[in-house]
Amino acid sequence: MIERSGTSSGREERAAVSRRVVLIPGCLALLPEYGSLTDPVAELRAAVDAATSWLGEEVEIVATDQGRRVAEAVLAARMSNDADTERSVLVVLNGSACRTEKAPGFLDGRAEAFDESIRAALVTPAPQALRRIDGGLARELWADVAVLPQLAELLTGPGADARTVSVDHDAAPFGVQYWVIRWEI
Amino acid sequence: MTLRLRKHSFADDETLMMAIVNRTPDSFFDKGATWAEEAAFERVRLVAGQGAEIVDIGGIKAAPGVEIGVAEEKARVVDFVARVRAEFPELVISVDTWRAEVGAAVCEAGADVLNDAWGGADPELVDAAAQYDAAVVCTHTGGVTPRTRPYRVEYDDVMRAVLDDTLGYAQRALDAGVARESIVIDPAHDFGKNTFHSLEVTRRLGEMVATGWPVLVSLSNKDFVGETLDRPVGERLLGTLSATSICALAGARIYRVHQVEETRQTVDMAWSIAGRRKPARVIRGIQ
Repeated sequence: MIERSGTSSGREERAAVSRRVVLIPGCLALLPEYGSLTDPVAELRAAVDAATSWLGEEVEIVATDQGRRVAEAVLAARMSNDADTERSVLVVLNGSACRTEKAPGFLDGRAEAFDESIRAALVTPAPQALRRIDGGLARELWADVAVLPQLAELLTGPGADARTVSVDHDAAPFGVQYWVIRWEI
Repeated sequence: MTLRLRKHSFADDETLMMAIVNRTPDSFFDKGATWAEEAAFERVRLVAGQGAEIVDIGGIKAAPGVEIGVAEEKARVVDFVARVRAEFPELVISVDTWRAEVGAAVCEAGADVLNDAWGGADPELVDAAAQYDAAVVCTHTGGVTPRTRPYRVEYDDVMRAVLDDTLGYAQRALDAGVARESIVIDPAHDFGKNTFHSLEVTRRLGEMVATGWPVLVSLSNKDFVGETLDRPVGERLLGTLSATSICALAGARIYRVHQVEETRQTVDMAWSIAGRRKPARVIRGIQ
């Protein structure tokens, strides 16, 4: 999944991977204080753990205050980290919470298309498209995308193209659209 | 403190359902429904399937009645214990007896717990428990003779009396060689107590929990529930579960019950409210 230079030299690997970025959703069920006997987000948690373990030891968090709590919790709980990475960023955002009748924001017919536009821009990745996401519509659809402009900046990079490494999770199991995605820049 | 019932160990955040299995023709609740061995064995299968961790097998009803000698009590329970042990190796087997001779015989047959509902009436019972490394339940009865009803019993402070007697009994068990992690205390609702006493003991159960000894409560369908709600036997489940909630909130560990599933749900709910058990599966509002 992770392309490397084929050498055992850590210095050369670091040169090949200048920045790693991971996106996770701000799902509060990931917090230990909200744990259950049976984990309702086991698949999401596994994807989050795998993706955040791919990040380096020092991780910059890009999130709202609530999203930062989730980020700090999952980083504290991750199985390992890749210390060779020079710079890592963990971004917390998610799509609409209006995807089904049982969703927190009830069903909104616009939600699926809205999420699809974000998903396409994330997976490509297409920073310009991310910048064009309608913030007003996002609020109507209970989408947590406040840090999308910062993610767009990250994916633009200083003269380098971002590359999607993997989409680890893409689902809306409780009427809320989650993504777990990795990029290298 | 980890609770050890002979070879079975339980962490200190676990609660246990102790299902009553009567090998009697005349117990107050089931009225002989499991008197026949096969019926009693079906009852064991049922409660084990419902998730009970312990079965409490009794050969003599608590209330006054026809005298049951040692030989008859052993005939009712010893071979039955052996049969349950053989078929359910993971099930904790308790035997409700106050007699040391019966206690030794059932431990030899595989019992893990001696549940002495009569407060140490036979002082050698703890020796039997120690000999077999079994657990013992130390109850308070106020010193009454086994199989007698309370009559004009009064206490200056009923919980003080319960604590003095059960802790004294626990110390005797320790002195006899019973393992510290295998001693349980039980206020024994209705035994040597009127309904006001049992209500107060329920209300103040936290004082027993605070001693550090694991606490067993036997509330199921008892007269203090019936008198409090003016309900006959057979209509006391809701009152039993209400009292169970109070005891669970206080931190009781073992629940001697007729209705396993209802009590399990009640205890789990109260235990989660108390913050000692995670809820089963929560996603509402935190997606």
